[in-house]
Amino acid sequence: MNGTVTSPAMQSVMRRLLMVWAEFESALETVPLIDKLRRGRFRLDDYRMLLLNHRQQVIEGSRWIARAASSITNEFAEQRSTFLKHAVTEHRDYAMLEADFVSVGGDHAQILAYEKNVGTEALHGFMFQRASEPNPFDLLGAMFVIEGVGSKKAAAWGSLIRDQLRLEDRQVSFLLYHGAHDAGHLAEFEATLGSGILELPGMGDRIVKTSAVVARLYRLQLEEMTRA
Amino acid sequence: MLDVYINGFGAFFPGPPVGNDAMEDHLGRIGGKPSRYRPLVLRNNKITNRHYALDANGVAQHSNASMAAAAIATAVASSELVLGDVTYLATATTLGDLLLPGLASHVHAELKLGPIEIASFQSVCTSSLMALKSAYAQVRIGEHRAAAVSGSEFASRYFRPGFYEHVVNGNGNGAPPEAPFDAEFLRFTLSDGAGAVVLEAAPNARHLSLRIRWIDIRSFADRFAPSMLAGGAHDGDRLRFWGDYGDPVEAVRAGALMLTQDIALMRSMIPVWVSHFVELVERGRIVIDEIDHVCCHYSSQSLRDETVKLLAAAGALIPQEKWFSNLTTRGNVGAASIFVLLEELTRVRKLEKGQQILCNVPESGRALNGLMLLEVA
Repeated sequence: MNGTVTSPAMQSVMRRLLMVWAEFESALETVPLIDKLRRGRFRLDDYRMLLLNHRQQVIEGSRWIARAASSITNEFAEQRSTFLKHAVTEHRDYAMLEADFVSVGGDHAQILAYEKNVGTEALHGFMFQRASEPNPFDLLGAMFVIEGVGSKKAAAWGSLIRDQLRLEDRQVSFLLYHGAHDAGHLAEFEATLGSGILELPGMGDRIVKTSAVVARLYRLQLEEMTRA
Repeated sequence: MLDVYINGFGAFFPGPPVGNDAMEDHLGRIGGKPSRYRPLVLRNNKITNRHYALDANGVAQHSNASMAAAAIATAVASSELVLGDVTYLATATTLGDLLLPGLASHVHAELKLGPIEIASFQSVCTSSLMALKSAYAQVRIGEHRAAAVSGSEFASRYFRPGFYEHVVNGNGNGAPPEAPFDAEFLRFTLSDGAGAVVLEAAPNARHLSLRIRWIDIRSFADRFAPSMLAGGAHDGDRLRFWGDYGDPVEAVRAGALMLTQDIALMRSMIPVWVSHFVELVERGRIVIDEIDHVCCHYSSQSLRDETVKLLAAAGALIPQEKWFSNLTTRGNVGAASIFVLLEELTRVRKLEKGQQILCNVPESGRALNGLMLLEVA
């Protein structure tokens, strides 16, 4: 498997990303909202709070990918297309999330007007800063973390929430959908990583650094959800 | 500081091997009924034989301490030492015969050695490497010239039906329940045995020695709740310790003395275990291409498969033909595992001078991982 992970430089990046991921994923266990979910103490209010806060993350996500695409110079036109396609596939996700919110008694006007929390501000401030630099392929490190949440955590959280709150699948569709669909992104990720971008000076280290910053800020965003 | 060598290897397995069809009769049936989880657990762990220190009537034929002492005696006999040379003894186990004093005292007594220094290590599987690291450090600084280390388990005594049947079930009607899956998992996974090694600051003159390059142990308990549990039960959100019940009988009825495993939590520990390994690769402590043999303790084949997948994705997989395991034939013997793996590896595989052996002992108890690099001297 993973025939694309061949060069030593790429292997080193993948190993360090795995370390960032393991640190991030295991530290999530200590986030109050996730801890509550694991202990079976989740309330409908908690689910609504999660969706309220998460919508900003989803909307900003497709914006910074589009920004990053526009910062990619012509010699990497191929990779730019990949970024653009990615922005297109994600950009309607928030509609699914909003429908989930309304289906559990949330007020649509409230979610549309909801302010970004402190962690979301910090995360996306950082993302847009990086995305505005020329050839910001270090954002692959960000995608590794954010899509990791989608493919490895979302479905598990979705089914825990569904079971604890006795909801139907359609009411947790955003979380369940991401668990089922983000797995293909890893192959795409490896293909982009192996497409020559690691020849840019210092890019491997920068990808790992960006993933570590994003992991920390993503956790902050989750921590801030329970800080009213 | 001195180089430290493993100069002797010993293993002790009680009684004849017990196959999958015989294991439940050997342990006894809970409530007289066959377990509905046994086939599933065995399908996942792929164990086909194990040993029990209980006979078929449930009577103990050995103690944890006597099995450890037997393994040490074998290890010493396989070295160029005599038992009287050993001045430091470190023991590792999950549950000793007694709550106190520590197991090392009893193993010392069984060995009938004169006054020596001892240390008892109690955790789960990785207690083996804790004990080994202490002995390694003792020999390395010149405090002791020869040290013995044992890992031993007598898990089956807690798997007899009586250890489950007194638990009051959720309905509070006192009827003997079916043991929950998280208890049955360990019941059909763990078994008994002991392994040992002896260490010196010089290699054997004529026999095989393995030099200890390093031992690296990492705990992730800051972020994980206990995944294995004995001596407490969940009481709402918190853990209630067995000593906090009104009396021991109440603790038993609440299930506080059952040995249980939260499987989902254990699975979620795989990335941090793999990350510990990968970090050592990045730091250059492990060079993947230089590893000739891998002795990785794992509790079931399905967990190994998940680990392999992660390693492959990180470009850090050591080819599986280099992996050595005796899980299927010897069973999962917890703290004894790494020692019985090494004992068998040194007999079965042809080891050549300069070859490197990487040992990995993860512990799901509360998220711990131990790695060790050995070099054929």
